[in-house]
Amino acid sequence: MQKASNLARRRLASVPTLIRNSWLGRSLSPHLSIVALVLVLVAEVGVAVFVIRDLSRSYATVENMYNGSVQGLLRVGDMQYEAQETRRSTLYALTTNDGNLQVSYADQSRDADRRVTQGIAQYLANARTAQETRAGQQLAKDWTDYLRVRDEVLGLILEGSSREAVHLDLNLGVSEFDHVRRDLDDVKKSYDAEASQQLATVAELSRASMGRLTAALVSGLFLGTIAVWAIQRSRMRSAMQLAQLQMDFVASVSHELRTPLTAIMTAAENVRDGFALSREGLFEQGSVITDQANQLMAIVDQVLLFAATRQAKPTYFLREIYVNDVIEEALRSTQSLIEGAGFSVETKIEADLPPVIADLSVLSQCLQNLIVNAVKYSTTNNWISISARMDPDENTVLMSVQDRGIGIDRADLTHIFDPFYRSPQVVGARIQGTGLGLSIAKRSAEVFGGQLTVSSQIGVGSVFTVHMPIAGAVRHEASSTEKAIGGARA
Amino acid sequence: MSTRGCAIILAIVVVVALAFPREHSAQAASAALDARANPSQSLAIVVNRSNPINNLSFSELRKIFMGDRNHWPNGHRIAIVMLEYGQPERRAVLRLIYRMDEKTYQDVLLRGMFRGDVFVAPKTLASPTIVRKFVFNAPGGIGYLRASDVDESVKVIRIDGLLPEDKGYRLQIDESSKATDD
Repeated sequence: MQKASNLARRRLASVPTLIRNSWLGRSLSPHLSIVALVLVLVAEVGVAVFVIRDLSRSYATVENMYNGSVQGLLRVGDMQYEAQETRRSTLYALTTNDGNLQVSYADQSRDADRRVTQGIAQYLANARTAQETRAGQQLAKDWTDYLRVRDEVLGLILEGSSREAVHLDLNLGVSEFDHVRRDLDDVKKSYDAEASQQLATVAELSRASMGRLTAALVSGLFLGTIAVWAIQRSRMRSAMQLAQLQMDFVASVSHELRTPLTAIMTAAENVRDGFALSREGLFEQGSVITDQANQLMAIVDQVLLFAATRQAKPTYFLREIYVNDVIEEALRSTQSLIEGAGFSVETKIEADLPPVIADLSVLSQCLQNLIVNAVKYSTTNNWISISARMDPDENTVLMSVQDRGIGIDRADLTHIFDPFYRSPQVVGARIQGTGLGLSIAKRSAEVFGGQLTVSSQIGVGSVFTVHMPIAGAVRHEASSTEKAIGGARA
Repeated sequence: MSTRGCAIILAIVVVVALAFPREHSAQAASAALDARANPSQSLAIVVNRSNPINNLSFSELRKIFMGDRNHWPNGHRIAIVMLEYGQPERRAVLRLIYRMDEKTYQDVLLRGMFRGDVFVAPKTLASPTIVRKFVFNAPGGIGYLRASDVDESVKVIRIDGLLPEDKGYRLQIDESSKATDD
């Protein structure tokens, strides 16, 4: 049972590593995902421009068609109706002997013929081709000829010569009106042809737009899917990395906890089993227990501190502080460590440095972490330099912790501030740690509007620098924090 | 009373009866001549603008209205238009041209149509505007309008060489003649 459990645990632990080493883990980066999204956007915008251009041309063609062919067809339709009305009203006058009605029909006929005449004039005015002009002129001539006959027919009707009127209309009126009808049909056909041509253009443009839209949709869907897939993969990868880091952290912390606990247990067993009966022996075992307990406490404090920096609204006590005090407080807290490791500390602090706004204990903790790291990763040269100076260009005070330790590989420089990150070099050298110190230090500087930078060279050493804006130039992040704190401390 | 006495009395009555209307007609004619310059009282005789006739004697005008003449010199049939019963213009035409009252006019018209003397009866129209439009549309149309109702769509012809606005123009509307005519 125990074996199966251990096997399962080992398999579970190996999963992130397998994933990280697979093609999935090595494929699209977040940058590539963003590039894919930008490509999608560019492609969509490009297609949209084409589609808008096509739509604009379609609209212009349709508008042109409406203003030209469609309106022309409507006008021809009106003219056909009014021409019929002209003839119809004339013939209606034949159906009555009432002079008043006959005059009314004559009026109707003349009103209708006036509208036809206006329509022909408008057609001629809008004629764009020689063919249209010829058709319009022919129509005008035939219409005038018909009106001449119509006037005679109307006169005969009004004069009471109905028989002669019918005779004239049948002999001349019908044929003249047929000419007019044929002319109007010709005009209509020319408009029909023009409208058909424009409709074909619109249909062609619509087809092109549909094709482009379809292509845009398909490509957008495809690229968008790829982008979303890539982003999700990136997130999953980050989550897996975090999970891996947390597992490493648990393993590391367990190891860190186990070492002092083992020492404490050994010392306690020695006391219990009577191996340390003398006063000196008891003192020695008690010292071991105290030191190891302190180490345990330090580890737990570190973890708690990291958790505190991750809170959504951490509480700080903001005030103007001087970096001398920060450095002094950090050195006091790490004095036993420094002395125990046999390190010499060199401090260079410029005079009259302006104050910064921060929480003293937090900023001091930041510096302590840097000092502890400097001690931890200096294996041969037990020397640390702590300096403070003004950067007038940036209006910041710089606090640097320099060591002559093992240095940091260039590839690790981008990861050392990630929580739980421990470089393979450090792990290989069996240097104990939680991977939280630099993350906490960076967060501690940033929360007051500052930043933490590093420069390092393998085998030469590292310089960590805290950049703190001077009081009065503190960025908004700190002020908003101060508000929250002010409320809490008031 | 002796036969001679009766004859004398009868002669006096006849003379008086004959003399009175003449005097009355002379007074009316005088009044009409004096009113020549009033366009609302002058009756214009209008024809289609294509009609070549510009002048008619009063007797020719009467012949036309009486139906004794059926065609214009250009060959178009003469189409007479009358305003409806009761209009002052119609009364004036009956009195001055036809020289008969409404009832007599209707009788004469019916008799003429029955006998075939009147080929086409005059058209009776409702208003001066319709008269104007009729004459405008009918090349052979002839009608009458107050001079103030005339416009460019029709042609006014001279009667005995006179236009409605001329001194001595005979066709005048007598508004007071309604009771007598009807």
